Amino acid sequence: MKPLKRLLARIRNLVSHQSGDQRFLEEMEEHLSRQTEENLRSGMTPAEARRQAVLKFGAVEAIREQYHAEKSLPFIESVVQDVRYSTRILGKSWGFTSVAAISLALAIGANTTIFSVIKRLLLDRLDVPHAEQLRLLHWYGDRHTVVTNMWGMSDNMPEGIGAASFSYPAFEQLRRDNHVLEDLFAFKDVGRMNATIDGNAQILQGELVSGNFFDQLQVQPQLGRPILAGDDRIGAPTVALISAELWQRAFRSSPAVVGRTIKVNLVPVEIVGVAPSEFTGAKSVQSSPDLFLPLSSQPRVEPRGSNGSLLGASCPQMWWLNIMGRTKAGVADITAQAALDASLSAVVRSTLRPDKNMSIPRLDLLDGSRGLFLSKQVFAKPLEVLMAVVGLVLLLACSNIASLLFARSMARQREVGVRLALGAGRARVLRGVLTESFLLSALGGAFGVALAFAGCRMMPALLANPWERAQFIMPLDWTVLAFTASVTLLSGLLFGIVPAWIATRSDGGACLKPTGPGSTRRRRGLSGKLIVCFQMMLSTLLVAGALLFVGTLFKLAHVGTGFRTDHLVLFAIQQPESRYPAPKDLQLHHQIEERLRALPGVQNVTLSEVAYISDSMENANFLPEGETPNPDKNQSAWNNAVGPGFFQTMSIPILAGRDFNENDTATAPKVGILSESLARKAFPGQNPIGKRFLAHFHPREDTPGDLIEVVGICGDTRYWSLKQDPVAMFYQPYQQTPNLDFGATYEVRTSLSSASIAPSLRKAVHSIDPDLPLQQIRTQQEQIDASMQQERIIAALTASFGVLALVLASVGVYGVMAYSVAQRTSEIGIRMALGALPRQVITMVLRDATWIALVGITCGIGATVLSTHLVTSLLYGLHPNDPVILAMSAWLLALVGLVASWAPARRAAAVEPMQALRHE
Amino acid sequence: MKTRTDIQQGTLALMVLKTLAVLGPLHGYGIGRRIEHISGDQLALNQGTLYPLLLRLEQEGAIASEWGPSENNRRARFYRLTRTGRKQLQAELRDWQQTAEIMARFLAINAEVRP
Repeated sequence: MKPLKRLLARIRNLVSHQSGDQRFLEEMEEHLSRQTEENLRSGMTPAEARRQAVLKFGAVEAIREQYHAEKSLPFIESVVQDVRYSTRILGKSWGFTSVAAISLALAIGANTTIFSVIKRLLLDRLDVPHAEQLRLLHWYGDRHTVVTNMWGMSDNMPEGIGAASFSYPAFEQLRRDNHVLEDLFAFKDVGRMNATIDGNAQILQGELVSGNFFDQLQVQPQLGRPILAGDDRIGAPTVALISAELWQRAFRSSPAVVGRTIKVNLVPVEIVGVAPSEFTGAKSVQSSPDLFLPLSSQPRVEPRGSNGSLLGASCPQMWWLNIMGRTKAGVADITAQAALDASLSAVVRSTLRPDKNMSIPRLDLLDGSRGLFLSKQVFAKPLEVLMAVVGLVLLLACSNIASLLFARSMARQREVGVRLALGAGRARVLRGVLTESFLLSALGGAFGVALAFAGCRMMPALLANPWERAQFIMPLDWTVLAFTASVTLLSGLLFGIVPAWIATRSDGGACLKPTGPGSTRRRRGLSGKLIVCFQMMLSTLLVAGALLFVGTLFKLAHVGTGFRTDHLVLFAIQQPESRYPAPKDLQLHHQIEERLRALPGVQNVTLSEVAYISDSMENANFLPEGETPNPDKNQSAWNNAVGPGFFQTMSIPILAGRDFNENDTATAPKVGILSESLARKAFPGQNPIGKRFLAHFHPREDTPGDLIEVVGICGDTRYWSLKQDPVAMFYQPYQQTPNLDFGATYEVRTSLSSASIAPSLRKAVHSIDPDLPLQQIRTQQEQIDASMQQERIIAALTASFGVLALVLASVGVYGVMAYSVAQRTSEIGIRMALGALPRQVITMVLRDATWIALVGITCGIGATVLSTHLVTSLLYGLHPNDPVILAMSAWLLALVGLVASWAPARRAAAVEPMQALRHE
Repeated sequence: MKTRTDIQQGTLALMVLKTLAVLGPLHGYGIGRRIEHISGDQLALNQGTLYPLLLRLEQEGAIASEWGPSENNRRARFYRLTRTGRKQLQAELRDWQQTAEIMARFLAINAEVRP
């Protein structure tokens, strides 16, 4: 009790800055005057009375100190004293301080940012109660799988295919049979939808959900009601739940939004509620769809398939729905998976009637707590690499500070010796040095947090397309802050403790002797050099990595696409199927195309079903006339439906035959143009012009396919990605295809910028149909840049870390060489007195530095060779151990080592022999 | 010249508490004078050392202090015993008497056995 009370009182005093000095002085004065009076009464002279009083009181300063010690916490006070002292020391050598703090700040900032991104993209779960209970249904099929028609993402593997999409009949059957999970619910991300709110056409992201979706996810809307089972019934009026973000953006958070009607793909939809702001649906953790609509609305708002409906039993061949369920208490995942697999096999057999050559997909249960977790496929690998890189940078920064502090502690040996000799406790001195390093790391940490904060604000913008709204937010959260704090603390201790220990290890006397530091120079010099070797190694690794990624970006940027990419503005039009059922859609696009061609500023205009380098593609069965179908042979080709003037607009050369022209109408004989490589592959050694081939776009549907005559051969182009070599493909006039049910992308050749031509394009389309918004307006170059985004981010980040590594390495080399030269001043003086030339001294110092650099670089190259194969999948056009890049990084590091040791070498050569000897 | 005894650690606090218990609220000077007086001027007390002790006792809650007018119309800080202080005094008195008894007995025996 007593000590506690005292401690509390002391803390109170410390916090309230009550020094108590005033009180003590007053009491002392009172005491002395009383004593003086009494002395006077006993007959002393006034001066003597006062003197005796003071004598009787005792040693004022000692008592005052005692009083002060009683009043406050001496430990904390001395820590404050340490901090003040260290601040002064650090402030005095601001060059050292800023290099150390900045490098640490960069390292910590980078680590925190990357860790935030990893947390957001790979670790966070859906914001619903007990997300860990969610299971996602998924299947695998081999190459002969009966499932061929899919809407949604799939994992294509050499041995087959995997996806989380199911047909509607499969969902119904699985849900009916299910007794191993809680009630199954389904959802489908339908992507962009054309919506009209208050007469404003805009693009919204939509998600179709089953009637039990909100009930099973245990999510309550913040306003209105959720989508209920009653809404998910054929014939029920179409309703929607909107996201909190859309509520705020389009309705200024007005509570009157419930009951409002908006148009979604031309269908009137009543808003019944607003989702809670953290809720992002079931698909992803990072971004929420704007609209949640019941599955039953699919035939109206998002018609697909032959009669527009994917519901009921109408379209069992189309696999599109994502299915989830919560675990049931007491049922193991493996049991649940077996039971669900059995019902899936049953429903596949009854609805798709596979023949004996076809295989049935196997169902498996995946963790659904992160939705479909598509971010893993895209970001896991690059983030792993970046995390490793920033981890190395942190290590480098720490070792850099260690070597800087080390050199300083050597320089301060004498000071420490004096303090120890004057009776300072070893722990006290140790604490002083530790305080300094800790202060430094705290400084770095504070800047690092600020950097991380900025980085987290920047990251979503980096990850999004320039022409689209950044869709996800990335908060800097407490976990990450705690992580940063511990990294800072740890690094502070890590690089503080060694120099501190070394500084106090030697006994005070030795340091005070003039020859003291020289006697153990060899060993001490060695540990400093080891740190620098280690830095050189890390830097070599980082620089080689950065060069690999920069090289990849360079190679990609200089890939020949096969078409002209400049002055080309792209935008997409997705016509609603309900208003433009085939072949009305073809007429619509013909009309738009004509209208655009007449616009001023438009040099050329065309359209294509698939835009280039946009990760979309189309594939069809392709049989040269006379060849027979063979299931064991790949008889398909990539294809694209294009408008007239396509080859001219894109500047793709026609190598033989003719271009499409206005006579190739819907009723004319079907014609096609082959790419050079398809022509060579399909008609080897023949002239393909005039030959015919059978193209089959939907092999599972019982249509005969089209017989198409080859009228021309065009140059090869890249298709969906810069990384993919030009593929064998054929083109058709879009007027001769059955429909353009996925819309079309327009390519406009113009000398104007996309921003300045967009209004007139929009006006032209508006004049044809005011409900048709222009989507994704961008230039072809922007589209290509976006496809290289991942490579660019990695290259930019690793390159800046590489530069940082070079700077840190040069600081390290400089520090250790400067220290070594300072230590050897007298030796150098003697050498010069004995006749050594300045040139020889320079050579001597540089040779020393070169040895350090060589050992470090060799180890670094070794580490690089051992580790770069891990990033092979992120490279393009480069071998992970590209000898040119290895040589370049080795040279760069060697150069940095030489440059950094040049100044110390010059200083060594400028030593005056006499002065150096006198100094001794 | 009289021999003066250094005060044993801890006993000064006991003296202060006892003084306050007997005389009631008192200022620092008064406490010092009283201790000197009782000890018959045999203690080598630097009076100044009383003040850190008074502060400690106050922070422990055994005594409390406030400014007040003294006899000759000057300001002085008066210390008084608190309830905690009274309890502490009793406990320490008990301890002290016990220790003194034991020491006395111990020293007495020692004298007898000596050859």
